Amino acid sequence: MEEESGEELGLDRSTPKDFHFYHMDLYDSEDRLHLFPEENTRMRKVVQAEMANESRGAGDGKAQRDLQEEVDELVHLYGLEDDHELGDEFVDENIPRTGVSEYPPYMMKRRDPAREQRDWRLSGEAAEAEDLGFGGWGSAGQCQDLREAYRYTHGRASEEYECYVIPEEEDEEEAADVFCVTCKTPIRAFQKVFDEHKEHEVIPLNEALESAKDEIHKNMYKLEKQIIEMENFANHLEEVFITVEENFGKQEQNFESHYNEILETLAQKYEEKIQALGEKKKEKLEALYGQLVSCGENLDTCKELMETIEEMCHEEKVDFIKDAVAMADRLGKFLKTKTDVEISAQPEFEDQTLDFSDVEQLMGSINTIPATGSSVRVCWSLYSDDTVESYQLSYRPVQDSSPGTDQAEFTVTVKETYCSVTNLVPNTQYEFWVTAHNRAGPSPSSERAVYMTAPSPPIIKTKEIRSCEEAVLICWESGNLNPVDSYTVELTQAESPEASGVTESVVGIPTCESVVQLQPGRSYIIYVRALNMGGPSVRSEPATVHTIGSYFRLNKDTCHPWLTISEDGLTAVRSERRTPARELSPSDTHFTRCVAVMGNLIPVRGHHYWEVEVDEHLDYRVGVAFADVRKQEDLGANCLSWCMRHTFASSRHKYEFLHNRTTPDIRITVPPKKIGILLDYEHSKLSFFNVDLSQHLYTFSCQLHEFVHPCFSLEKPGCLKVHNGISMPKHVTFY
Amino acid sequence: MKFAVYLPPKAETGKCPALYWLSGLTCTEQNFISKSGYHQSASEHGLVVIAPDTSPRGCNIKGEDESWDFGTGAGFYVDATEDPWKTNYRMYSYVTEELPQLINANFPVDPQRMSIFGHSMGGHGALICALKNPGKYKSVSAFAPICNPVLCPWGKKAFSGYLGTDQSKWKAYDATHLVKSYPGSQLDILIDQGKDDQFLLDGQLLPDNFIAACTEKKIPVVFRLQEGYDHSYYFIATFITDHIRHHAKYLNA
Repeated sequence: MEEESGEELGLDRSTPKDFHFYHMDLYDSEDRLHLFPEENTRMRKVVQAEMANESRGAGDGKAQRDLQEEVDELVHLYGLEDDHELGDEFVDENIPRTGVSEYPPYMMKRRDPAREQRDWRLSGEAAEAEDLGFGGWGSAGQCQDLREAYRYTHGRASEEYECYVIPEEEDEEEAADVFCVTCKTPIRAFQKVFDEHKEHEVIPLNEALESAKDEIHKNMYKLEKQIIEMENFANHLEEVFITVEENFGKQEQNFESHYNEILETLAQKYEEKIQALGEKKKEKLEALYGQLVSCGENLDTCKELMETIEEMCHEEKVDFIKDAVAMADRLGKFLKTKTDVEISAQPEFEDQTLDFSDVEQLMGSINTIPATGSSVRVCWSLYSDDTVESYQLSYRPVQDSSPGTDQAEFTVTVKETYCSVTNLVPNTQYEFWVTAHNRAGPSPSSERAVYMTAPSPPIIKTKEIRSCEEAVLICWESGNLNPVDSYTVELTQAESPEASGVTESVVGIPTCESVVQLQPGRSYIIYVRALNMGGPSVRSEPATVHTIGSYFRLNKDTCHPWLTISEDGLTAVRSERRTPARELSPSDTHFTRCVAVMGNLIPVRGHHYWEVEVDEHLDYRVGVAFADVRKQEDLGANCLSWCMRHTFASSRHKYEFLHNRTTPDIRITVPPKKIGILLDYEHSKLSFFNVDLSQHLYTFSCQLHEFVHPCFSLEKPGCLKVHNGISMPKHVTFY
Repeated sequence: MKFAVYLPPKAETGKCPALYWLSGLTCTEQNFISKSGYHQSASEHGLVVIAPDTSPRGCNIKGEDESWDFGTGAGFYVDATEDPWKTNYRMYSYVTEELPQLINANFPVDPQRMSIFGHSMGGHGALICALKNPGKYKSVSAFAPICNPVLCPWGKKAFSGYLGTDQSKWKAYDATHLVKSYPGSQLDILIDQGKDDQFLLDGQLLPDNFIAACTEKKIPVVFRLQEGYDHSYYFIATFITDHIRHHAKYLNA
């Protein structure tokens, strides 16, 4: 049973080039044996079909190939026909597998071999009708192997036989038609009686097939889901990739300009210092030289005087006395003048402390991203050795569309090769260009560079924050007229201040809202930043969130016109007034019949608990409803809402727990003033409690396939107040 | 006197709260244990459940076996004052004193945490025990209780037999009357009643009277009229989990 290619078997037909051989040993021989104890039978059947082909003589090669294609198609159709949810990927992936299905082509066996080829072309429907194994086998190679094997086991040349070679042993016509669950193998019905399968559980083959198919379908469905997930993830990763690149670019640019600035400043200082030293030197030398000169003069005078005195000593007495007196005078005068013998200039140069503070500052700020919402740091360089006296930087906002309205152009003159431009509009693109100036005039202007200012910080809508113990939903206003690229949410825990607090960031948020996972029982401070090509904005004003209980506000948009909601979104009031009897026109957003309002509960599963404070004599309904509940109906009157209803009439309190207009018959002797409501998505339950007494009132079992919102209605004038952000009391935990 | 005790797994390692069940007319200590399906819930909440018999047996009192709603199997949880019943038929004292002492001494129960519930006559028993002993029981509940025995046939028959003809003595064992003068600590009462219960329709149970009295006195009650249910143990088995949870809330607080 070893696989061999067609050529090796010495067949006359040449193997078509595009033929794909599937080896019998694709699956372990162990597996094969295990599943198909009737190996011989199968081979024989296969062979007989093969021979049917051969008998057709000419065009065999072609027949083979057609066969292969047809089989593949058949396999594909049959194997996957009922799996409409699968995409093409599955089709492609699965074909090779089913192509080498381990299930023998029983269908062939059933039919008249002579018609087999045609039957296959009938494709899927026929195959299904047979309701047996997967059609198809791999290849001509397989057929040939089997034929060889047949020859071997039966010692007869297959050519001797025409179509109907059916050895004696195999006289029953049925293929396996039951499935032994214990052995997990298809067997024939009568085999059940034999030792092996005697004690085993057996089910009809159809059932086994159905359940096997179901298994596979389930798994295929899961696989598909996983594919979608992975693709989404891959896309997300791509985006992150791009962001990393961009951020790198910014970092690089920033560092380069800072670094250059530092170098320039250092160079400048070097020049200055050298120059200063040089001057000092000059000073000293000049002073010394001066001294030298005066010293020389002094010396000359001294020498001259000495000579004169010497001459005097050789004169006559009368002349000598005259000259001696004059000389004494002169000497006296001369010697009186002090000769300065102090060195006027010290040879040493003092140590000068250089002021590097500006360089230090530059180095310290080397990491700050230059662009803020209203300023941009622009740098440039000169590619020649020309003397430049100053640079002129011009800029203006980039025009989107109409060039008609010319935006104002601004100019700044600087001596350095960089400039921080301020007072810009956030989240706007500006184009910059530079001209260099010297005595001869200005240079041609540089190419225009476009920089974008970072956006303004967003503004968190603190009144619309909704939270629960495990998450918070924050939404904000962009804070910018033009769109930004994305938003980042940053959060720190309030208890641990900046020093030890870790800041968590959620990046790449495309819209103005985000659900962030949190830990229960903590307080968080949340900031939002907007992000564009120019960088991130500064942090928004913070918002605080406490993950205790669930926190929501009443949604004014859903409010019936006769209800007023307080500023803090927690109290609903229906005033005493003469309300007109006319019907309000139906609306999808706000209640028109039931005087009700909905709360905006965070769309997160788990537990939510809140309390409602009511007056004993108030007629009200409190509960939950799906967001798309019909607003023209009363709460509890349809299957999209559940509520507890209290009516007080003739000094009697009546309580109903309504859903789809039905209520159980319940009497409550002490009217609750504060009602606790527990919404449990996990166990699909909605429970009501009398908070003051810790008394359980009623629990609905509800199918919560989507998120629901708390709702409240006032059937008579009065008010009710919502309390939330409360952690579940102990007595509630029993439910 | 026979009684049945259920010990939850938790009792192997420590003392558990005790929940007393009082059965109705004709029952023994076996009915609840075998038919009510309480085990899972009691185990989950770690409660010891005790179910006494409904009357003393084999006392050889003339007439004790004559009717199913008086005498054997119909103790009505009172302390009889009339002959020939007063020696043996002291179910009230048995349930409120003798049995708890016995249980506390021999089983791993916490003597401070005790609750009581029952069915029909046992519901009546549970309510009166709780109302006559404020603070003794942490919670009370009942299935189809006889709420106002002085006004229903069963009650009249039993009380006149056990307590004599002085109706003022009957009120001491009537839940509706006891509520009216209940001074004590907060009680949270859960009552389930089958809507298709024949005895309800026959006026034996009279829950409305009890509810009205509780509303008046502001005693917290949640009374559920269950559509389609009768007086049987199938009814009890359906809602037993709710009741056990109700008690667990207070016993495990």
